[in-house]
Amino acid sequence: MHERGYIKKTAATAASIAFLLLGWELLAVMLASPALPRPLPAFITFVREIPAGLWRHFLISSYRVVLSILLSLALALPCGMVLGREERFDRLAAPLVYLVYPVPKIVFLPVLMVLLGIGDISKIALITLVIFFQILVPIRDAARGINAGVINSVKSLGAGRWDIYKHVVWPAVLPEMLTALRVASGTAIAVLFFSETIVSQEGLGYYLLDAWSRYAYREMFAGIIAMGLLGFIIYMALDYLERRLCPWKFV
Amino acid sequence: MINLAGNKLMVNVENLSVSYRQQRKEVPALRGVSFAIPRGGTCALIGPSGCGKSTLLYVLSGLLGSFSGRVLVDDEPVQPLRRQTALILQDYGLLPWKKVFDNVGLGLDIRGINGRERTARVQRVLLEVGLWEMRDRYPSQLSGGQRQRVAIARALALEPDLLLMDEPFSSLDALTREKLQKQLLDIWQKKRMTVVLVTHSIEEAIFLGQIIIVLSEHPGRVVDIVENPRVGEPGYRKTPEFHALTTVLREKLIP
Repeated sequence: MHERGYIKKTAATAASIAFLLLGWELLAVMLASPALPRPLPAFITFVREIPAGLWRHFLISSYRVVLSILLSLALALPCGMVLGREERFDRLAAPLVYLVYPVPKIVFLPVLMVLLGIGDISKIALITLVIFFQILVPIRDAARGINAGVINSVKSLGAGRWDIYKHVVWPAVLPEMLTALRVASGTAIAVLFFSETIVSQEGLGYYLLDAWSRYAYREMFAGIIAMGLLGFIIYMALDYLERRLCPWKFV
Repeated sequence: MINLAGNKLMVNVENLSVSYRQQRKEVPALRGVSFAIPRGGTCALIGPSGCGKSTLLYVLSGLLGSFSGRVLVDDEPVQPLRRQTALILQDYGLLPWKKVFDNVGLGLDIRGINGRERTARVQRVLLEVGLWEMRDRYPSQLSGGQRQRVAIARALALEPDLLLMDEPFSSLDALTREKLQKQLLDIWQKKRMTVVLVTHSIEEAIFLGQIIIVLSEHPGRVVDIVENPRVGEPGYRKTPEFHALTTVLREKLIP
């Protein structure tokens, strides 16, 4: 049964990729402009560019994005669970969260660069700053929304505060956490692109902007494909994690 | 009479009042409630919805600590986390992310009972309620009646001497309900723990409660305490006395 589900899912993925490529092909043929190369030449360029240096940009960007996601998760997960369950902390933190949440944090890049330099750390800090809130808020709300009856039942079994976190809160927020991570990974790549276009010599953002400035549109699209691939890999990893961490959702 | 002289009391409630705050107003939930349940007896709490039946159960479990009056469980003032008290709430309180086996073992995990002892106890109670074959399923894969039995098994795994149940069978279909009522009776007759259950079904109260406490409309007060010593006799449900008692209770509840 699992086998069949897997085949079905792979087929669906293949179909959506085919659909995307077909749309791209049609649009490129209709526009007939060098600014939008057709998919096949773009992919040929992508394959040629990989050994020529694209792989290095890809790895650097992957490293920055993945580390940022892990870092913001490590910070947001405990904070979100505690804020969702302990009302007195949330009363203190909520105004702060709502004040900072809507501020476009990419404007802090110059400040971060002054503080942390123009290398990896300022970029990772920026991405972490942005997606921290995108992960924190859903986890907090999921923790807050746990059915009081479940909590009381587990309490009646003799559970202390720690047992409640271990047996109830943590598994209850897992599905929300993974959903939040999916949304956040998209944001993370967008912020990564921005941060890599400013005073940067490496990473997919730099590669893309560099190609753009040289009117090398095929290379630019090779960069776009690489970015899409990065997002796709993260998405697949999250899918895999969900199957491992939330098996009760797949029965 | 079931209220045997000299028999130790398991639950002794004297002049219990509870109120809760709602929008800065004190709303009384229970007022001046007194009753006693002997060790090993069963008691049904019945009354109109919103009369504070569930509140009373929360007080007995120790989860609700703010009340006035005296509540003794096994001769001690009621306290949270009394190890021999088990509580089963209306929606069963099963964790969707744990398999049947681990849901049943949860109370043991929390009490630090693990390894072979845990496995043995979980197996024993699951066999008792007839769900050993379902041990690897998640709650979402079970029927309502099966979930209720898992909740009962989880309570039994703690080897309680006081079992509190909040409308345990109310969301089940009639056939399953009768089957489970019978099963609960069997378990009680075998183990003789004290059972207190909240119900809004007159039939269920008479079938299961040696003592039936009738509560009034909000705020809950004791209208009457009916003794019902024939609980557990084979075929009791079909006797004229059973039906006569139904009428008596109905008149007390709907005067």
